[in-house]
Amino acid sequence: MNKMVTITVDGARIETPEGMNVLEAALEAGICIPNLCYIPSVTPLGACRVCIVEVVQNGRSKMTASCTLEAKEGMVIRAHSEDIIRARRNIVELLLAEAPNSRAIQDLAARVGVTRVRYPMRNNSCVLCGRCVRVCDEIWQSKSLGFVGRGRNRHVALPFNKRPEFCKRCNACIDLCPMTITPCPGPMKEPAVCGLCGSQLSMAEDTPDTCVWCELGRGFQCARWQLKGVLNTT
Amino acid sequence: MELATLDQILEGKGKEPFDVIEVLQDIQQTYRYLPEDALCRVSEKLGIPLIEVFRLANFYKAFTLKPRGRHLLTVCMGTACHVRGALRFLDEVLFQLAVQPGETTEDGAFTVETVNCVGACALAPVVILDGKYYDHMTPRKLRDLLNSAREKDKGGL
Repeated sequence: MNKMVTITVDGARIETPEGMNVLEAALEAGICIPNLCYIPSVTPLGACRVCIVEVVQNGRSKMTASCTLEAKEGMVIRAHSEDIIRARRNIVELLLAEAPNSRAIQDLAARVGVTRVRYPMRNNSCVLCGRCVRVCDEIWQSKSLGFVGRGRNRHVALPFNKRPEFCKRCNACIDLCPMTITPCPGPMKEPAVCGLCGSQLSMAEDTPDTCVWCELGRGFQCARWQLKGVLNTT
Repeated sequence: MELATLDQILEGKGKEPFDVIEVLQDIQQTYRYLPEDALCRVSEKLGIPLIEVFRLANFYKAFTLKPRGRHLLTVCMGTACHVRGALRFLDEVLFQLAVQPGETTEDGAFTVETVNCVGACALAPVVILDGKYYDHMTPRKLRDLLNSAREKDKGGL
């Protein structure tokens, strides 16, 4: 058994096994840290940086991704400070600019309160979160796909762009991809966020460290948009 | 593809996963590119996932998955070379060989590549033919260089 340690997340004291990552500990305790590339029971990669938190040490704080941060005794974490919220919004804004046509990323944007995108839209179909690569490697032990190329040419590929014999066709890579979830059918304007998920946003803002179970792909129920649909049809 | 040579390469090298770069280098030298079936064999023999071998082959500039020509002509496009007209010189190279950067001439003699800087700025503009540096290049010098390389090919055959 692992030793239990006590960490403080947003003022709440949490008991967690030593070495457990901070994101999982916080989620377990019902404190919501938005995340994208993290999959339970798969090695965290820290690719998307959405789960960024502040670690306070000796009166100084530094920002780091919570999924790759191991819990240590007496750790003080701030997951919803002003700085973190601002940084997280910026990260999600960049993700949204990279791949706006994903429900997962749109939900994430609504969750953290991104209402506009200041960056040029790329319309890519991949944000390099590595969910597919890691699940193929670790859960299915297949290693059929991986990252290929470097720098801006880095992308997920199959060897020689052919499905290898040892691929088990489990389709876990497709299941876990945030891009395969149909984008929100809401009144999308050019910058991918309609801003009508306001009610959801205020809910998340009023009680910032409450987990709203924004499970990837489950999607927020965009109350105002639904209401608007009803109003329009009647 | 003569797989006998591939077996020889694999025979002479270690069987550990970290020997993969060395093996790939030898294959690259023998075949002047990394054939697909060779990579599959390497992955089998060294016990590395094929995607890892493929990733390495894509990552390093020294490896190519397309066949290279008998001679590799690298044109430096660094700042000093640029100032000394590397762009125009590259045009000249591409014109003389009738290829695009990264491509191989139809007779399989030359492959042209560009590189950002070779650190020989005093010699600008520089080209490298098969690892040998040629300084202060002009279209005339280039023509002589290519011709001598072609002559050498003929002598060798």
